[in-house]
Amino acid sequence: MELYVSAIAIWVLIYTLMATGLALQYGFTGLINFGVVGFVAIGAYGSGILSQHGVPVWLSIPAGAALAGLAAYPLGRVTLRLGGDYLAIVTLGFSETVRIFIIKEEWLTRGTHGMPGLPRIFEDWAGRSSGDLTLLVLLVAVNVVIFLLMRGLIRSPFGRILAAVRDNEVAAKALGKDTASFKTRALMIGSALCGLGGAFQAHYITFIGPEQYVPLMTFYVWIAIMIGGAVSIRGIVVGTVILIGFLEGSRFLRDVFGGISEVQLASVRFWLIGMALICTVLYRPQGLFGERTKGTN
Amino acid sequence: MVESFGFNRRQFGGLVAGLTASLGAGSAWAQNTRPFKLGALNSITGAGGVYGPGMLEAIKLAVKEVNDAGGAAGRKFEIFAEDDQTRADAAVLAAKKLVEITKVEAIVGIWPSAVQLAVMPITNAAGIITMNTSGAPEIDENDKLDLVWQFYGSNVIFGRAFAETVRKLGYKRPGVMAFNNATMLAQARYFQKTWEEKGDKVVDFIPYEPNQTSYRTELDRLLSKKPDIISASSYLPDLTIILKEWYQSGIPCKFIAPGWSANETLARTLGADVVDGILSVSNVPATQNPAFKHFSSAFKAATGREPETFAAASYDMVICLALALQAAGAEATPAQIASKIRTVAEQPGKKVSSFAEGRELLLKGEKIDFDGASAPLTFTPEGRSTPDFGIYEFQKDKLVLKEVIRLT
Amino acid sequence: MIWVDLANATINGIVIGLLLALPALAVTLVFGIARFPNAATGDFMTFGAYTVVAAKSLLALPLAIGVAMACALTALLSLFFYWWVFRALVRRSPVASLIVSIGIALVVRSTITFFAGQSQYTIEVPLVRAWNFDGVRIVPTDLYIAGVAVTALVLTFCLLHLTPLGRRMRAVADNMELARASGINVGRVMITLFAIVGFYCGLGGVLIGIKAVVLPELGWELLLLLFAAVILGGIGSPLGAIIGMLVFSVSQEIASLWVGASYKIVFAFFLLLGVLLLRPQGILGKVRAVR
Repeated sequence: MELYVSAIAIWVLIYTLMATGLALQYGFTGLINFGVVGFVAIGAYGSGILSQHGVPVWLSIPAGAALAGLAAYPLGRVTLRLGGDYLAIVTLGFSETVRIFIIKEEWLTRGTHGMPGLPRIFEDWAGRSSGDLTLLVLLVAVNVVIFLLMRGLIRSPFGRILAAVRDNEVAAKALGKDTASFKTRALMIGSALCGLGGAFQAHYITFIGPEQYVPLMTFYVWIAIMIGGAVSIRGIVVGTVILIGFLEGSRFLRDVFGGISEVQLASVRFWLIGMALICTVLYRPQGLFGERTKGTN
Repeated sequence: MVESFGFNRRQFGGLVAGLTASLGAGSAWAQNTRPFKLGALNSITGAGGVYGPGMLEAIKLAVKEVNDAGGAAGRKFEIFAEDDQTRADAAVLAAKKLVEITKVEAIVGIWPSAVQLAVMPITNAAGIITMNTSGAPEIDENDKLDLVWQFYGSNVIFGRAFAETVRKLGYKRPGVMAFNNATMLAQARYFQKTWEEKGDKVVDFIPYEPNQTSYRTELDRLLSKKPDIISASSYLPDLTIILKEWYQSGIPCKFIAPGWSANETLARTLGADVVDGILSVSNVPATQNPAFKHFSSAFKAATGREPETFAAASYDMVICLALALQAAGAEATPAQIASKIRTVAEQPGKKVSSFAEGRELLLKGEKIDFDGASAPLTFTPEGRSTPDFGIYEFQKDKLVLKEVIRLT
Repeated sequence: MIWVDLANATINGIVIGLLLALPALAVTLVFGIARFPNAATGDFMTFGAYTVVAAKSLLALPLAIGVAMACALTALLSLFFYWWVFRALVRRSPVASLIVSIGIALVVRSTITFFAGQSQYTIEVPLVRAWNFDGVRIVPTDLYIAGVAVTALVLTFCLLHLTPLGRRMRAVADNMELARASGINVGRVMITLFAIVGFYCGLGGVLIGIKAVVLPELGWELLLLLFAAVILGGIGSPLGAIIGMLVFSVSQEIASLWVGASYKIVFAFFLLLGVLLLRPQGILGKVRAVR
């Protein structure tokens, strides 16, 4: 029981890392990154490959995150001069490109076979659940540190420029700010956080394969920040908890509805996710916890 | 099409059957009423969605058969199904739920290698049996506890079977097309390796991406090298499109494809003109095997269609497990049950083809050899079953068995 | 021999391109007029394909009536979501509509899988051998498919450029506020828009279902390609969408003669990046202000 609960908690904390990254990009800067999963994959594979070549996990995970951040640089430079829709589609294309690269470049990634047996972050030092519990504590600590850094960042002059870019880019430009450069930096930091989440997830599951990194994951992260409201840390956490609670909670649906087939149950799950998305945007545009004035336009 | 509407009646029927069975069996097997909790981790959605629902259906049929016979060692099977979405990450949480919350003693019906590899650390730590239809060699290497069982001729063997068949039938210039995933690619590579061992060459090797509208350019590229036969390591949807486009091209060529795609559904979809002469390779000469006959008629009654190889393998998983439980006794741990799996399916035991039959003999203290619906099931030391292969040919739209080959 | 391969790849690319031009047109019209990339486009196509499957197998209707039904029902579906969802979001950020359209995509697809399951269906048409001109092959069925697509495309252009309704649509695309101020009923324009979009998605889905197989992910898998083609051609430009789609599919087919077929999508992505670097507004697009 406690192993399952801690697994869910670990999952939530991994997703909050990604959601925080996306919130920095969308909620605080107005960037539409539809390639979240591409950066998650780079973080996961970056760390996974390094760790298989003897790099210790505590080093390979930040390295994976850094790789994900660096990968965002050229995308930002090319598209951020253009309107927001372009970034959305280019990042979506980027994430598919990453996935196909993983599939094709077998010498590096083992292709569709996936990489099994990645090292866990903590071994079990006392009983079956101890490794997971230590990881849980570490993830809480990492999240707290990231939240504090984010808060500092948003309140800094840099953060104020990001907000200005989001609210009125023309005005920010008129004030002589190189908005594309600020946007690129926000994109890189956010993507590095997505990569960090991916790296932690890889070493938690201990297996990575290209089929894990499909656009659905991107939309999960989007759903989390849309539900919670993208502009507050509380919103990010609550949004992620609701998302994971919903995804996993729906597994218990079948214990309630006996007479429904598995295929139909899976359909019901996705139907509910879609409906939740539509209804949140339609009826709670600021998210469950956002302020009414911000983030709606 | 009607299958999705039929669940109420079937479910009800199952309930009634289960009730009567439990009433009838209750008196005879009252000493241990603790149910055996069985996890079914199937790929209901995602890439495996074409086969996963059929596998789950097969598991349900097998469980019903076991329970109708009074359970294994007096223990009734109870199914807990989860969808792994054909993804390792989703599978990990699903497996955690099965292991930690439901506390299952075995997980069956795993389709992709990725899922088996991802859940193995969890199930091994908890000492739980897993049974899959995956083909990745890494699974053998990591199965230190002998808890993982593979009910599918590995990619190596399948690829070799294709190549030996093609050679035996006298073809000279085979070309290879492969769906780009771990299983299919490995199969196609072993085809190439086996073929080229004797100094011959395949004319071209073309892996293709799933989910395309057309494979014509890939196909044209291969056909332009003038192969006399194409080995297609494909699933049903892509093989359907490829054969459609090949037929329209009018270029003469043969095809050889695995049984889970070159099946009766394919013939129904494309018609006799297209499929006539296409070769299909299956794990087993299915039509001659009593377990398969029995299973496929039950499957048809429940779903209205033919079972795929994977469904037959899933059925065998449950029956094997139940027989092993019967042999190990009601109080056995999963590890003790696992240690019996080999013994209920090996010679010189007496051949059995159903759970009830096997249980009778086991109760009498005899040795048994279960011949399953997917294969005769003899497990290698790594816990992998090595099947015979049936080579079928479409004559018009009917599959006809040409020969059976056994690889060593 | 290489010319034969090239010719075949080109023909194949053109057929697929014309086929996908229908949904690409739907994407670009919504993008240009309602101003958001509609991620539900793909699943509307899937809906169209399944409608024909249902019409043929459940009601035993002939193919032509099934196709008409698919177009009509998909148009209704599209109108329904306009009426319920997009109408309320007209004045909100395009991101809201984009996110909602993903939700709609999930809802439509999961409704389909709830009733039809995950296994494949086919829309059976008689298979005909190709005409062979010294190795260059043309499949008659492909000609029909291309013919239907071209007809639909020509009709759209007539509608957009020859009718008052089309003029109003273009006015809304140029500047919604101005159009509203000059007395154009924007709501009515939107209704027409979403009806056309549904119609094209339905038709495109059916054609793909005929050419390939019908699966729940049929349309969703094409979405990225559609978006990329629309950007390549210039957002909001109907002719651009068609040209963008043709450029993409022909170059993809030709490229897969040399590079591995798996890199098709990657190739499209880099083509797109290149175009964005050199000509950000796309092949036929007008320069758009950054919003």
